[in-house]
Amino acid sequence: MADMQSKTATTESTNRGPIAMQLRDVAVSFHGRTAVRDCSFDVAKNKVTSLIGPSGSGKTTLLRALNRLHDLTPGAKVSGQILLEGVDTYRGDLTVTELRTRVGMVFQRPNPFPTMSIYDNAVSGLRFNGVKKKALLDEAAESSLRSAALWDSVSTRLKVAASNLSGGEQQRLCIARALALDPEVLLMDEPTSALDPIATLRIEELMTSLKSRVTVIIVTHNMQQAARISDDCAFLLMGEDRAGELIEFDTTEKIFNNPIDPRTLDYTLGRFG
Amino acid sequence: MIELEQPVEAGHEMRAEIRRISNRTRARRVATSRVMVLLCAVALTLAAVPLALLIYQLLKNGVPVLNKAFFTTVPSTPTLIAPNATGGVSNAIVGSIALNIYASVLAIPVGVFVGIYLAETESKLATTLRTIAQTMAGAPSILMGLFAFSFVVHDLKIGFSALAGSFALAVLMLPVIILSSEIAVRNVPATLREAGLALGAKPHKVSMRVVLPSALTGIVTGAILALSRAVGETAPVLLVIGGGFTNTWGLLNPVSALPLSIFENAKSPWPSQRAQVWGVALVLVAFIFLVSLTARIWASRKQQVRN
Repeated sequence: MADMQSKTATTESTNRGPIAMQLRDVAVSFHGRTAVRDCSFDVAKNKVTSLIGPSGSGKTTLLRALNRLHDLTPGAKVSGQILLEGVDTYRGDLTVTELRTRVGMVFQRPNPFPTMSIYDNAVSGLRFNGVKKKALLDEAAESSLRSAALWDSVSTRLKVAASNLSGGEQQRLCIARALALDPEVLLMDEPTSALDPIATLRIEELMTSLKSRVTVIIVTHNMQQAARISDDCAFLLMGEDRAGELIEFDTTEKIFNNPIDPRTLDYTLGRFG
Repeated sequence: MIELEQPVEAGHEMRAEIRRISNRTRARRVATSRVMVLLCAVALTLAAVPLALLIYQLLKNGVPVLNKAFFTTVPSTPTLIAPNATGGVSNAIVGSIALNIYASVLAIPVGVFVGIYLAETESKLATTLRTIAQTMAGAPSILMGLFAFSFVVHDLKIGFSALAGSFALAVLMLPVIILSSEIAVRNVPATLREAGLALGAKPHKVSMRVVLPSALTGIVTGAILALSRAVGETAPVLLVIGGGFTNTWGLLNPVSALPLSIFENAKSPWPSQRAQVWGVALVLVAFIFLVSLTARIWASRKQQVRN
């Protein structure tokens, strides 16, 4: 127990403003094999929290637990507690579909729906959830595409297939698609790893500008990116039994400049991983 | 890290050695390549010659018997006074179109839904259904005819009819449609399904609005290929459609079909009727060609839209 406490050096949440999500001893296993464990930290509201660590440290697995994407994976089990605004997302009154409208997700590779137009992609989440009113959809499409900094380049070709967009534009469309549901939290799984540096920069700028309306949790392999854009940072590492675990959680500033665990320093200095 | 020079030196020698071997074996590799290309050309010729001969025969013998009456009149029996009065084959053309439309209506919706079910679920039932479909896909087509005869014609007392024939063809098409739909749905990237789920969509909505539209090209192509196979099948309809001599779209009437017309007329003692067989065969091949061409154009167009 004492060992675990030292690993999860959680900063005082009381003086860091409101909290969007809380993770308590979260662990994910597949067919009894633990993939990630010991994750306890608070995600501050309207901040960007980054999850960093080498491949296999369970970053993506942890992220996907936050909107219950493991539900449909046979043999997957999520233990511990994940609270959204104080409500247990796995055992509370929240339905999984409601959770996913409140906690949106952007994936590693841009994955707009190929059979839908740009417009249809932008409002797809609303349509899935029963919104049919044209005026409402039009308004949501424009505002979400504006928020994703895509409106100016696509407003004249909304009916064009989404697959005609460039990779960076497709990823911004995926962000718009998630934003259209007006989520409280946006999960991003290495959203720029498939993009060129310029497209990456635009997504990063976007994330910073979105902070005022949405809490962002981002998985990234790119340490500069984590340092540039995140306020808080969780460092995960693969343990000896090949299961990922949380090594340290703190403000990004502390993780990169003055971490408690020597392994964190080794990683952020690029000595491994 | 310390002995930096040695590895570089070794690497240099290794590269020189690789280049020497590469130069020495170049002539042999080029020769092997030429022989392989030649073998491919021979194989291509062997495959193309029978096919070309077949098409040549079809056109040479088929085109002369095609005329307006061929398409618009029903068959008549030649007599000694009028040995060339074969009539046309409009009954077989109408019959083939009717049979295959009815068979498609029966088989495509069921097949597509079973295919989606197989792709979306992992259950004992799904595994069993898949095994049945795979077995049925390889079953001889006369079996479908026997089944339709004993079940529809005999047990249900419907008699020789278009319904019995289209039932047999539907059973024949079903496994092809099931398996191709399953593959089409499985080929939809999991990331798209996840994208739908992550937007709070219920799983059935993701299936209908995301997965199915993305799989549609594959599903339609599979259905058309199943249809093009059914159009040419003789065995399933042989026992059950009754070989009607009228132009009829009626489900319960006996009908004819192009393959059946070939089968019957090829056995005729009248040279005029035997000659007509080539015309029917030409029409049938043209039919199948058009159907599969439609499928291919449709599929490639959809592909272009996506890219």
